[in-house]
Amino acid sequence: MGKFVMIGERIHCISPAIRDAMATRNPEPILKRAKEQLDAGAIYLDVNIGPAETGGEDLMKWAVKLLQDNFDNVPLSLDTANKKAIEAGISVYNRTKGKPIINSADAGDRIENIDLAAANDAIVLSLCSKAGVPSNNEERMTYCQGMLERGMSLGMEGEDLWFDPLFLVIKGMQEKQIEMLEFIRMVSEMGLNTTGGVSNASNGMPKDVRPIMNSTLVAMAIMSGLSSAIVNPCEKRMNETIRSCDIIRNNTLYADSYLEI
Amino acid sequence: MPFIKKPRTLKPLGAVSIGTGERAVKIGGGNTLPLYFFDAKLSNPPAVGVELTDTAWDAAELPLLAKAYEGAATLAERVACAANMKGVDFVCLRLEGADPGGDNLSVEECVKLAQEAAAACTKPLCIAGCRSEEKDVELFKALAAALQGQNVLFLSAKEEDYKTIGAATVLAYGHKVAGESSVDINLAKQLNVLMTQLGIPKESIVMNLGGAAVGYGFEYVSSTMDRVKAAALEQDDAMLQMPVITQVATETWAVKESMASQADMPEWGDLEQRGIQMETVTAAACLASGSDAVILRHPVAVDKIAALVAALI
Repeated sequence: MGKFVMIGERIHCISPAIRDAMATRNPEPILKRAKEQLDAGAIYLDVNIGPAETGGEDLMKWAVKLLQDNFDNVPLSLDTANKKAIEAGISVYNRTKGKPIINSADAGDRIENIDLAAANDAIVLSLCSKAGVPSNNEERMTYCQGMLERGMSLGMEGEDLWFDPLFLVIKGMQEKQIEMLEFIRMVSEMGLNTTGGVSNASNGMPKDVRPIMNSTLVAMAIMSGLSSAIVNPCEKRMNETIRSCDIIRNNTLYADSYLEI
Repeated sequence: MPFIKKPRTLKPLGAVSIGTGERAVKIGGGNTLPLYFFDAKLSNPPAVGVELTDTAWDAAELPLLAKAYEGAATLAERVACAANMKGVDFVCLRLEGADPGGDNLSVEECVKLAQEAAAACTKPLCIAGCRSEEKDVELFKALAAALQGQNVLFLSAKEEDYKTIGAATVLAYGHKVAGESSVDINLAKQLNVLMTQLGIPKESIVMNLGGAAVGYGFEYVSSTMDRVKAAALEQDDAMLQMPVITQVATETWAVKESMASQADMPEWGDLEQRGIQMETVTAAACLASGSDAVILRHPVAVDKIAALVAALI
Protein backbone atom coordinates (compact mmCIF):
# COMPACT_ATOMS: atom_id res chain seq x y z
CA MET A 1 0.00 0.00 0.00
CA GLY A 2 1.31 3.44 -0.92
CA LYS A 3 1.24 6.70 0.96
CA PHE A 4 -2.13 7.61 2.43
CA VAL A 5 -4.09 9.90 0.13
CA MET A 6 -5.52 12.89 1.95
CA ILE A 7 -8.38 14.44 -0.03
CA GLY A 8 -8.84 17.97 1.29
CA GLU A 9 -12.50 18.70 1.99
CA ARG A 10 -12.45 22.44 2.60
CA ILE A 11 -13.57 23.71 -0.82
CA HIS A 12 -17.20 23.07 -0.05
CA CYS A 13 -20.19 25.19 -0.96
CA ILE A 14 -21.70 24.70 2.50
CA SER A 15 -19.13 27.21 3.70
CA PRO A 16 -20.60 30.68 3.18
CA ALA A 17 -17.25 32.11 2.07
CA ILE A 18 -16.86 29.44 -0.61
CA ARG A 19 -20.50 29.63 -1.68
CA ASP A 20 -20.16 33.38 -2.23
CA ALA A 21 -16.87 32.94 -4.02
CA MET A 22 -18.42 30.38 -6.35
CA ALA A 23 -21.48 32.55 -6.99
CA THR A 24 -19.44 35.65 -7.77
CA ARG A 25 -16.48 33.79 -9.37
CA ASN A 26 -14.17 35.32 -6.82
CA PRO A 27 -10.95 33.27 -6.91
CA GLU A 28 -9.35 34.55 -3.72
CA PRO A 29 -11.17 32.57 -0.95
CA ILE A 30 -10.95 29.36 -2.98
CA LEU A 31 -7.25 29.76 -3.73
CA LYS A 32 -6.58 30.55 -0.09
CA ARG A 33 -8.22 27.35 1.12
CA ALA A 34 -6.56 25.33 -1.61
CA LYS A 35 -3.14 26.62 -0.63
CA GLU A 36 -3.72 25.96 3.06
CA GLN A 37 -4.73 22.39 2.35
CA LEU A 38 -1.87 21.69 -0.05
CA ASP A 39 0.64 23.21 2.37
CA ALA A 40 -0.77 20.87 5.00
CA GLY A 41 -0.13 17.85 2.79
CA ALA A 42 -3.38 17.26 0.89
CA ILE A 43 -2.76 15.22 -2.26
CA TYR A 44 -6.19 15.67 -3.86
CA LEU A 45 -8.54 18.61 -3.36
CA ASP A 46 -12.26 18.00 -3.28
CA VAL A 47 -14.31 20.60 -5.15
CA ASN A 48 -17.86 20.48 -3.88
CA ILE A 49 -20.17 22.76 -5.82
CA GLY A 50 -23.35 21.31 -4.30
CA PRO A 51 -26.29 20.13 -6.45
CA ALA A 52 -25.53 22.96 -8.91
CA GLU A 53 -28.62 22.32 -10.97
CA THR A 54 -28.23 25.55 -12.90
CA GLY A 55 -24.89 26.79 -14.14
CA GLY A 56 -23.03 23.81 -12.68
CA GLU A 57 -21.12 23.13 -15.87
CA ASP A 58 -19.64 26.59 -16.12
CA LEU A 59 -18.93 26.68 -12.40
CA MET A 60 -17.08 23.34 -12.38
CA LYS A 61 -15.03 24.29 -15.45
CA TRP A 62 -14.10 27.58 -13.81
CA ALA A 63 -13.13 25.91 -10.53
CA VAL A 64 -11.06 23.17 -12.21
CA LYS A 65 -9.14 25.65 -14.33
CA LEU A 66 -8.68 28.05 -11.44
CA LEU A 67 -7.19 25.41 -9.14
CA GLN A 68 -5.09 23.58 -11.71
CA ASP A 69 -3.69 26.79 -13.22
CA ASN A 70 -2.68 28.11 -9.82
CA PHE A 71 -1.41 24.90 -8.24
CA ASP A 72 0.57 23.05 -10.90
CA ASN A 73 -2.29 20.84 -12.12
CA VAL A 74 -3.24 19.66 -8.64
CA PRO A 75 -5.39 16.53 -8.92
CA LEU A 76 -9.03 17.14 -8.02
CA SER A 77 -12.08 15.30 -6.80
CA LEU A 78 -15.18 16.65 -8.55
CA ASP A 79 -18.01 16.60 -6.08
CA THR A 80 -21.56 17.32 -7.24
CA ALA A 81 -24.80 15.53 -7.98
CA ASN A 82 -24.84 17.21 -11.40
CA LYS A 83 -23.34 14.72 -13.87
CA LYS A 84 -23.10 17.27 -16.65
CA ALA A 85 -21.05 19.48 -14.36
CA ILE A 86 -18.65 16.59 -13.68
CA GLU A 87 -18.29 15.94 -17.41
CA ALA A 88 -17.68 19.63 -18.01
CA GLY A 89 -15.03 19.67 -15.28
CA ILE A 90 -13.29 16.64 -16.76
CA SER A 91 -13.33 18.25 -20.22
CA VAL A 92 -10.92 20.92 -18.99
CA TYR A 93 -9.04 18.73 -16.47
CA ASN A 94 -5.29 18.20 -16.82
CA ARG A 95 -4.37 14.70 -15.62
CA THR A 96 -0.57 14.98 -15.50
CA LYS A 97 -0.62 14.86 -11.68
CA GLY A 98 -3.38 12.28 -11.33
CA LYS A 99 -6.71 11.13 -12.73
CA PRO A 100 -9.82 13.09 -11.75
CA ILE A 101 -11.94 11.60 -8.99
CA ILE A 102 -15.71 11.51 -9.37
CA ASN A 103 -17.34 12.02 -5.98
CA SER A 104 -19.37 9.89 -5.85
CA ALA A 105 -21.28 6.79 -6.96
CA ASP A 106 -23.34 4.39 -4.88
CA ALA A 107 -25.22 1.16 -5.49
CA GLY A 108 -28.49 3.05 -5.82
CA ASP A 109 -29.51 6.20 -7.70
CA ARG A 110 -25.93 7.26 -8.34
CA ILE A 111 -24.67 4.01 -9.87
CA GLU A 112 -24.37 5.64 -13.27
CA ASN A 113 -21.48 7.70 -12.00
CA ILE A 114 -19.45 4.52 -12.41
CA ASP A 115 -20.32 4.57 -16.11
CA LEU A 116 -19.26 8.20 -16.19
CA ALA A 117 -15.91 7.31 -14.60
CA ALA A 118 -15.38 4.45 -17.06
CA ALA A 119 -16.17 6.70 -20.01
CA ASN A 120 -13.73 9.35 -18.78
CA ASP A 121 -10.89 7.20 -17.36
CA ALA A 122 -11.55 8.64 -13.91
CA ILE A 123 -11.40 7.32 -10.37
CA VAL A 124 -14.78 6.98 -8.70
CA LEU A 125 -15.54 7.06 -4.99
CA SER A 126 -18.02 4.20 -4.60
CA LEU A 127 -20.23 4.29 -1.56
CA CYS A 128 -21.16 0.80 -0.41
CA SER A 129 -24.80 1.62 0.23
CA LYS A 130 -28.00 1.80 -1.75
CA ALA A 131 -30.50 3.74 0.30
CA GLY A 132 -29.56 4.60 3.84
CA VAL A 133 -27.20 2.75 6.10
CA PRO A 134 -26.25 -0.82 5.08
CA SER A 135 -27.40 -3.19 7.79
CA ASN A 136 -24.29 -5.39 7.80
CA ASN A 137 -21.10 -6.22 5.94
CA GLU A 138 -22.81 -8.80 3.80
CA GLU A 139 -24.95 -6.05 2.38
CA ARG A 140 -21.93 -3.76 2.00
CA MET A 141 -20.02 -6.47 0.17
CA THR A 142 -22.92 -7.13 -2.20
CA TYR A 143 -22.89 -3.45 -3.19
CA CYS A 144 -19.11 -3.40 -3.39
CA GLN A 145 -18.96 -6.37 -5.73
CA GLY A 146 -21.85 -5.11 -7.83
CA MET A 147 -20.10 -1.78 -8.37
CA LEU A 148 -16.75 -3.47 -9.00
CA GLU A 149 -18.25 -5.76 -11.63
CA ARG A 150 -20.01 -2.87 -13.29
CA GLY A 151 -16.83 -0.82 -13.45
CA MET A 152 -14.71 -3.68 -14.70
CA SER A 153 -17.25 -4.72 -17.31
CA LEU A 154 -16.93 -1.17 -18.64
CA GLY A 155 -13.14 -1.53 -18.82
CA MET A 156 -12.14 0.13 -15.54
CA GLU A 157 -9.23 -1.08 -13.43
CA GLY A 158 -10.33 -2.31 -10.02
CA GLU A 159 -7.91 0.12 -8.39
CA ASP A 160 -9.87 3.06 -9.79
CA LEU A 161 -12.95 2.29 -7.73
CA TRP A 162 -12.27 3.60 -4.23
CA PHE A 163 -14.79 1.98 -1.89
CA ASP A 164 -16.36 3.95 0.91
CA PRO A 165 -17.67 1.72 3.72
CA LEU A 166 -19.85 4.62 4.88
CA PHE A 167 -18.43 5.99 8.10
CA LEU A 168 -21.24 6.07 10.63
CA VAL A 169 -21.83 8.53 13.40
CA ILE A 170 -20.37 7.09 16.59
CA LYS A 171 -22.85 8.77 18.87
CA GLY A 172 -25.84 6.52 18.36
CA MET A 173 -24.10 3.82 16.31
CA GLN A 174 -21.25 2.76 18.55
CA GLU A 175 -22.02 -0.91 18.01
CA LYS A 176 -21.52 -0.53 14.23
CA GLN A 177 -17.97 0.83 14.24
CA ILE A 178 -15.90 -2.34 14.48
CA GLU A 179 -17.96 -4.00 11.77
CA MET A 180 -17.30 -1.02 9.50
CA LEU A 181 -13.56 -1.33 10.20
CA GLU A 182 -13.73 -5.03 9.41
CA PHE A 183 -15.29 -4.18 6.07
CA ILE A 184 -12.35 -1.91 5.27
CA ARG A 185 -10.07 -4.84 5.98
CA MET A 186 -12.08 -7.17 3.73
CA VAL A 187 -11.96 -4.73 0.81
CA SER A 188 -8.30 -3.97 1.41
CA GLU A 189 -7.47 -7.68 1.43
CA MET A 190 -9.10 -7.92 -1.99
CA GLY A 191 -6.36 -5.50 -3.12
CA LEU A 192 -8.78 -2.62 -3.57
CA ASN A 193 -8.62 0.99 -2.45
CA THR A 194 -10.84 2.45 0.23
CA THR A 195 -11.84 5.94 1.29
CA GLY A 196 -14.48 7.79 3.25
CA GLY A 197 -15.60 10.91 5.02
CA VAL A 198 -14.13 10.23 8.43
CA SER A 199 -15.40 13.32 10.19
CA ASN A 200 -19.01 12.15 9.84
CA ALA A 201 -18.24 9.79 12.68
CA SER A 202 -17.96 12.57 15.24
CA ASN A 203 -21.10 14.44 14.29
CA GLY A 204 -22.96 15.74 17.28
CA MET A 205 -19.95 15.67 19.56
CA PRO A 206 -18.46 18.75 21.27
CA LYS A 207 -16.06 20.70 19.12
CA ASP A 208 -13.04 19.90 21.26
CA VAL A 209 -13.77 16.18 21.21
CA ARG A 210 -14.28 15.80 17.45
CA PRO A 211 -10.61 15.96 16.38
CA ILE A 212 -9.70 13.36 19.00
CA MET A 213 -12.41 11.00 17.85
CA ASN A 214 -11.74 11.59 14.13
CA SER A 215 -8.01 11.05 14.37
CA THR A 216 -8.32 7.94 16.53
CA LEU A 217 -10.83 6.48 14.11
CA VAL A 218 -8.65 7.27 11.11
CA ALA A 219 -5.69 5.53 12.76
CA MET A 220 -7.80 2.44 13.43
CA ALA A 221 -9.14 2.54 9.87
CA ILE A 222 -5.63 2.87 8.41
CA MET A 223 -4.62 -0.15 10.47
CA SER A 224 -7.52 -1.95 8.80
CA GLY A 225 -6.22 -0.93 5.39
CA LEU A 226 -7.90 2.42 4.63
CA SER A 227 -5.95 3.94 1.73
CA SER A 228 -7.43 7.44 1.58
CA ALA A 229 -9.93 9.72 3.28
CA ILE A 230 -11.75 12.94 2.72
CA VAL A 231 -10.55 15.05 5.61
CA ASN A 232 -9.63 18.53 6.71
CA PRO A 233 -5.84 18.39 6.34
CA CYS A 234 -5.50 21.66 8.23
CA GLU A 235 -6.88 20.03 11.36
CA LYS A 236 -3.69 19.50 13.31
CA ARG A 237 -4.47 16.32 15.18
CA MET A 238 -5.85 14.58 12.08
CA ASN A 239 -2.84 15.68 10.06
CA GLU A 240 -0.35 14.51 12.67
CA THR A 241 -2.11 11.18 12.99
CA ILE A 242 -2.12 10.47 9.26
CA ARG A 243 1.54 11.45 8.88
CA SER A 244 2.50 9.29 11.85
CA CYS A 245 0.56 6.35 10.44
CA ASP A 246 2.44 6.74 7.15
CA ILE A 247 5.70 6.53 9.08
CA ILE A 248 4.67 3.48 11.11
CA ARG A 249 3.43 1.73 7.96
CA ASN A 250 6.78 2.56 6.29
CA ASN A 251 5.06 4.51 3.53
CA THR A 252 7.42 7.44 4.10
CA LEU A 253 10.87 7.44 5.57
CA TYR A 254 11.15 8.93 9.05
CA ALA A 255 12.99 12.21 9.65
CA ASP A 256 12.74 14.28 12.85
CA SER A 257 10.84 16.99 10.94
CA TYR A 258 8.36 14.56 9.37
CA LEU A 259 5.38 16.62 10.59
CA GLU A 260 6.65 19.70 8.75
CA ILE A 261 7.08 18.30 5.26
CA MET B 1 9.83 -19.24 -18.59
CA PRO B 2 11.43 -16.66 -20.88
CA PHE B 3 12.73 -13.43 -19.40
CA ILE B 4 10.43 -10.65 -20.43
CA LYS B 5 11.98 -7.21 -20.35
CA LYS B 6 9.55 -4.89 -18.64
CA PRO B 7 11.16 -1.48 -18.20
CA ARG B 8 9.75 0.78 -15.55
CA THR B 9 9.35 4.48 -16.05
CA LEU B 10 10.06 6.46 -12.90
CA LYS B 11 10.31 10.17 -12.34
CA PRO B 12 13.85 11.54 -12.80
CA LEU B 13 15.64 12.48 -9.60
CA GLY B 14 17.30 15.81 -9.03
CA ALA B 15 20.66 16.59 -10.62
CA VAL B 16 23.29 18.93 -9.23
CA SER B 17 25.73 20.70 -11.49
CA ILE B 18 29.25 21.59 -10.31
CA GLY B 19 31.85 23.67 -12.09
CA THR B 20 31.13 26.20 -14.80
CA GLY B 21 30.74 26.42 -18.55
CA GLU B 22 31.83 23.52 -20.71
CA ARG B 23 33.72 21.99 -17.80
CA ALA B 24 30.62 21.63 -15.62
CA VAL B 25 29.62 18.14 -14.52
CA LYS B 26 26.11 17.06 -13.64
CA ILE B 27 25.73 14.58 -10.84
CA GLY B 28 22.58 12.47 -10.45
CA GLY B 29 19.36 13.06 -12.32
CA GLY B 30 18.68 9.45 -13.24
CA ASN B 31 15.29 7.76 -13.16
CA THR B 32 16.37 4.17 -12.65
CA LEU B 33 17.53 2.07 -9.75
CA PRO B 34 21.34 1.97 -9.51
CA LEU B 35 22.91 0.69 -12.75
CA TYR B 36 19.50 -0.33 -14.16
CA PHE B 37 20.53 1.26 -17.42
CA PHE B 38 18.27 -1.18 -19.26
CA ASP B 39 15.20 0.53 -17.76
CA ALA B 40 15.94 3.95 -19.19
CA LYS B 41 18.70 5.82 -20.92
CA LEU B 42 20.90 7.46 -18.34
CA SER B 43 21.20 11.21 -18.61
CA ASN B 44 24.30 11.60 -16.44
CA PRO B 45 26.65 8.65 -15.95
CA PRO B 46 28.10 8.28 -12.44
CA ALA B 47 30.89 10.82 -12.02
CA VAL B 48 34.40 9.89 -10.92
CA GLY B 49 36.41 12.33 -8.84
CA VAL B 50 40.04 12.19 -7.80
CA GLU B 51 41.10 13.53 -4.44
CA LEU B 52 44.35 15.08 -3.35
CA THR B 53 45.38 17.06 -0.33
CA ASP B 54 47.31 20.28 0.09
CA THR B 55 49.91 18.15 1.84
CA ALA B 56 51.33 15.74 -0.74
CA TRP B 57 50.65 11.99 -0.48
CA ASP B 58 53.15 9.82 1.30
CA ALA B 59 53.86 7.65 -1.74
CA ALA B 60 56.81 5.71 -0.31
CA GLU B 61 55.35 2.31 -1.23
CA LEU B 62 53.05 3.59 -3.96
CA PRO B 63 55.22 4.02 -7.05
CA LEU B 64 52.30 4.25 -9.49
CA LEU B 65 50.69 7.02 -7.47
CA ALA B 66 54.03 8.80 -7.19
CA LYS B 67 54.53 8.52 -10.95
CA ALA B 68 51.15 10.11 -11.66
CA TYR B 69 52.29 13.24 -9.83
CA GLU B 70 55.90 13.09 -10.98
CA GLY B 71 57.48 16.46 -11.49
CA ALA B 72 54.60 18.32 -9.82
CA ALA B 73 56.22 20.39 -7.09
CA THR B 74 53.45 22.79 -6.08
CA LEU B 75 49.84 22.16 -5.17
CA ALA B 76 48.75 23.90 -8.37
CA GLU B 77 50.90 21.54 -10.42
CA ARG B 78 49.56 18.50 -8.60
CA VAL B 79 45.99 19.69 -9.12
CA ALA B 80 46.71 20.09 -12.83
CA CYS B 81 48.05 16.51 -12.91
CA ALA B 82 44.96 15.24 -11.10
CA ALA B 83 42.57 17.05 -13.44
CA ASN B 84 44.31 15.54 -16.46
CA MET B 85 44.24 11.96 -15.20
CA LYS B 86 42.41 9.51 -17.44
CA GLY B 87 38.77 9.10 -16.42
CA VAL B 88 38.57 12.05 -14.03
CA ASP B 89 35.33 14.08 -14.07
CA PHE B 90 36.12 16.34 -11.13
CA VAL B 91 38.84 17.05 -8.57
CA CYS B 92 38.40 16.99 -4.81
CA LEU B 93 40.88 19.04 -2.82
CA ARG B 94 41.09 18.14 0.84
CA LEU B 95 42.66 20.86 2.95
CA GLU B 96 44.31 18.63 5.50
CA GLY B 97 46.96 21.22 6.27
CA ALA B 98 44.32 23.28 8.03
CA ASP B 99 43.98 20.66 10.76
CA PRO B 100 44.65 22.33 14.14
CA GLY B 101 46.16 19.03 15.28
CA GLY B 102 48.50 19.01 12.27
CA ASP B 103 50.07 21.80 10.24
CA ASN B 104 47.37 24.19 11.42
CA LEU B 105 47.60 26.45 8.36
CA SER B 106 45.73 29.70 8.77
CA VAL B 107 42.49 30.35 6.90
CA GLU B 108 44.34 32.93 4.78
CA GLU B 109 47.01 30.41 3.80
CA CYS B 110 44.33 27.89 2.86
CA VAL B 111 42.46 30.45 0.78
CA LYS B 112 45.65 31.19 -1.12
CA LEU B 113 46.26 27.48 -1.73
CA ALA B 114 42.68 26.89 -2.84
CA GLN B 115 42.82 29.83 -5.24
CA GLU B 116 46.02 28.52 -6.79
CA ALA B 117 44.47 25.08 -7.02
CA ALA B 118 41.28 26.41 -8.60
CA ALA B 119 43.26 28.40 -11.15
CA ALA B 120 45.19 25.31 -12.18
CA CYS B 121 42.19 22.97 -12.21
CA THR B 122 40.67 22.24 -15.60
CA LYS B 123 37.82 20.19 -14.09
CA PRO B 124 35.06 21.11 -11.62
CA LEU B 125 36.31 21.44 -8.08
CA CYS B 126 35.06 19.98 -4.87
CA ILE B 127 36.56 21.10 -1.56
CA ALA B 128 36.70 19.08 1.62
CA GLY B 129 37.89 20.40 4.95
CA CYS B 130 40.24 19.00 7.54
CA ARG B 131 37.45 17.45 9.64
CA SER B 132 37.90 19.84 12.51
CA GLU B 133 34.37 21.21 12.80
CA GLU B 134 35.32 24.67 14.02
CA LYS B 135 38.13 25.13 11.54
CA ASP B 136 36.07 23.84 8.61
CA VAL B 137 33.30 26.35 9.24
CA GLU B 138 35.82 29.23 9.18
CA LEU B 139 37.56 27.73 6.20
CA PHE B 140 34.40 27.21 4.14
CA LYS B 141 33.19 30.75 4.85
CA ALA B 142 36.41 32.24 3.53
CA LEU B 143 36.76 29.80 0.62
CA ALA B 144 33.18 30.34 -0.55
CA ALA B 145 33.87 34.06 -0.88
CA ALA B 146 37.28 33.59 -2.49
CA LEU B 147 35.99 31.08 -5.05
CA GLN B 148 32.80 32.96 -5.90
CA GLY B 149 31.47 32.14 -9.35
CA GLN B 150 33.28 28.81 -9.63
CA ASN B 151 30.35 26.67 -8.50
CA VAL B 152 32.36 24.55 -6.07
CA LEU B 153 30.93 21.62 -4.14
CA PHE B 154 31.73 21.81 -0.43
CA LEU B 155 32.09 18.60 1.59
CA SER B 156 30.33 18.60 3.95
CA ALA B 157 27.72 20.23 6.15
CA LYS B 158 26.60 18.28 9.20
CA GLU B 159 23.64 18.53 11.54
CA GLU B 160 25.72 20.72 13.87
CA ASP B 161 26.92 23.23 11.30
CA TYR B 162 24.54 23.08 8.31
CA LYS B 163 23.20 26.55 9.04
CA THR B 164 26.54 28.31 8.94
CA ILE B 165 28.01 26.25 6.13
CA GLY B 166 24.79 26.23 4.08
CA ALA B 167 24.37 29.98 4.42
CA ALA B 168 28.02 30.75 3.67
CA THR B 169 28.47 28.48 0.68
CA VAL B 170 25.10 28.27 -1.09
CA LEU B 171 23.00 31.21 0.06
CA ALA B 172 25.78 33.80 0.03
CA TYR B 173 27.91 32.64 -2.92
CA GLY B 174 25.83 30.19 -4.95
CA HIS B 175 28.08 27.16 -4.48
CA LYS B 176 26.86 23.61 -3.83
CA VAL B 177 26.92 21.75 -0.53
CA ALA B 178 26.86 18.13 0.56
CA GLY B 179 24.97 17.10 3.68
CA GLU B 180 26.89 14.48 5.64
CA SER B 181 24.90 11.90 7.56
CA SER B 182 27.34 9.07 8.47
CA VAL B 183 25.25 6.10 7.39
CA ASP B 184 22.09 7.31 9.15
CA ILE B 185 19.23 7.30 6.70
CA ASN B 186 16.83 9.27 8.88
CA LEU B 187 19.46 11.91 9.48
CA ALA B 188 20.13 12.05 5.74
CA LYS B 189 16.52 12.98 5.13
CA GLN B 190 16.39 15.30 8.12
CA LEU B 191 19.44 17.25 6.92
CA ASN B 192 17.81 17.74 3.53
CA VAL B 193 14.65 18.96 5.22
CA LEU B 194 16.58 21.36 7.43
CA MET B 195 18.72 22.73 4.60
CA THR B 196 15.65 23.15 2.40
CA GLN B 197 13.86 24.96 5.22
CA LEU B 198 16.89 27.24 5.43
CA GLY B 199 16.16 28.26 1.84
CA ILE B 200 18.80 26.16 0.09
CA PRO B 201 17.38 24.96 -3.23
CA LYS B 202 17.20 21.20 -3.73
CA GLU B 203 19.33 21.63 -6.84
CA SER B 204 22.22 22.79 -4.64
CA ILE B 205 22.27 19.84 -2.25
CA VAL B 206 24.19 16.59 -2.61
CA MET B 207 23.94 13.76 -0.09
CA ASN B 208 27.12 12.48 1.48
CA LEU B 209 25.60 9.42 3.10
CA GLY B 210 28.91 8.21 4.52
CA GLY B 211 30.94 5.22 3.48
CA ALA B 212 32.98 2.22 4.52
CA ALA B 213 35.57 0.02 2.89
CA VAL B 214 34.28 -3.37 1.79
CA GLY B 215 34.64 -5.74 4.70
CA TYR B 216 34.32 -2.89 7.20
CA GLY B 217 30.56 -2.61 7.61
CA PHE B 218 29.91 -1.85 3.97
CA GLU B 219 26.58 -3.66 4.19
CA TYR B 220 25.27 -0.76 6.30
CA VAL B 221 26.31 1.70 3.61
CA SER B 222 24.79 -0.44 0.92
CA SER B 223 21.46 -0.93 2.68
CA THR B 224 21.29 2.79 3.47
CA MET B 225 21.83 3.69 -0.17
CA ASP B 226 19.30 1.07 -1.29
CA ARG B 227 16.69 2.53 1.03
CA VAL B 228 17.44 6.10 -0.09
CA LYS B 229 17.06 5.21 -3.76
CA ALA B 230 13.90 3.21 -3.10
CA ALA B 231 12.32 6.12 -1.20
CA ALA B 232 13.42 8.61 -3.84
CA LEU B 233 12.15 6.63 -6.79
CA GLU B 234 9.32 4.48 -5.54
CA GLN B 235 7.88 6.66 -2.76
CA ASP B 236 8.59 9.89 -4.67
CA ASP B 237 10.20 11.32 -1.53
CA ALA B 238 11.37 14.79 -2.55
CA MET B 239 13.63 14.99 0.51
CA LEU B 240 15.72 12.05 -0.69
CA GLN B 241 15.97 12.80 -4.39
CA MET B 242 19.30 14.63 -4.21
CA PRO B 243 22.31 12.91 -5.79
CA VAL B 244 24.61 10.75 -3.66
CA ILE B 245 28.37 11.37 -3.45
CA THR B 246 30.66 8.89 -1.70
CA GLN B 247 34.17 9.53 -0.42
CA VAL B 248 35.56 6.10 -1.18
CA ALA B 249 39.27 6.86 -0.86
CA THR B 250 39.18 8.21 2.68
CA GLU B 251 37.64 4.90 3.77
CA THR B 252 39.63 2.40 1.75
CA TRP B 253 43.08 3.91 2.25
CA ALA B 254 42.56 3.87 6.02
CA VAL B 255 42.22 0.10 6.45
CA LYS B 256 45.07 -2.31 7.11
CA GLU B 257 44.81 -3.98 3.69
CA SER B 258 45.77 -0.67 2.10
CA MET B 259 48.29 0.41 4.75
CA ALA B 260 50.31 -2.54 6.01
CA SER B 261 53.63 -2.62 4.19
CA GLN B 262 54.75 -5.64 2.28
CA ALA B 263 57.67 -5.95 4.69
CA ASP B 264 55.18 -6.47 7.56
CA MET B 265 52.80 -8.61 5.55
CA PRO B 266 54.79 -10.44 2.90
CA GLU B 267 51.99 -12.98 2.36
CA TRP B 268 49.61 -10.17 1.33
CA GLY B 269 51.78 -9.11 -1.59
CA ASP B 270 52.30 -5.69 -3.08
CA LEU B 271 50.84 -2.86 -1.00
CA GLU B 272 49.91 -0.61 -3.88
CA GLN B 273 48.02 -3.37 -5.71
CA ARG B 274 46.11 -4.15 -2.51
CA GLY B 275 45.16 -0.51 -2.07
CA ILE B 276 44.03 -0.19 -5.66
CA GLN B 277 41.91 -3.32 -5.32
CA MET B 278 40.25 -2.18 -2.09
CA GLU B 279 39.47 1.16 -3.67
CA THR B 280 38.21 -0.25 -6.96
CA VAL B 281 36.04 -2.93 -5.39
CA THR B 282 34.53 -0.54 -2.87
CA ALA B 283 33.82 2.08 -5.54
CA ALA B 284 32.16 -0.48 -7.81
CA ALA B 285 30.01 -1.65 -4.89
CA CYS B 286 29.05 1.97 -4.16
CA LEU B 287 27.97 2.52 -7.76
CA ALA B 288 25.88 -0.65 -7.62
CA SER B 289 24.24 0.61 -4.42
CA GLY B 290 23.39 4.08 -5.71
CA SER B 291 26.34 6.49 -5.58
CA ASP B 292 26.01 9.11 -8.30
CA ALA B 293 29.62 10.19 -7.77
CA VAL B 294 32.59 8.50 -6.14
CA ILE B 295 35.80 10.15 -4.96
CA LEU B 296 38.92 8.03 -5.39
CA ARG B 297 42.62 8.60 -4.84
CA HIS B 298 44.66 6.24 -6.99
CA PRO B 299 44.91 6.95 -10.74
CA VAL B 300 44.66 3.23 -11.56
CA ALA B 301 41.43 2.92 -9.56
CA VAL B 302 40.07 6.06 -11.22
CA ASP B 303 40.84 4.65 -14.64
CA LYS B 304 39.28 1.28 -13.83
CA ILE B 305 36.08 2.74 -12.42
CA ALA B 306 35.72 5.21 -15.29
CA ALA B 307 36.17 2.30 -17.69
CA LEU B 308 33.57 0.28 -15.78
CA VAL B 309 31.06 3.15 -16.05
CA ALA B 310 31.81 3.59 -19.74
CA ALA B 311 31.38 -0.13 -20.37
CA LEU B 312 28.05 -0.24 -18.54
CA ILE B 313 26.31 2.66 -20.23
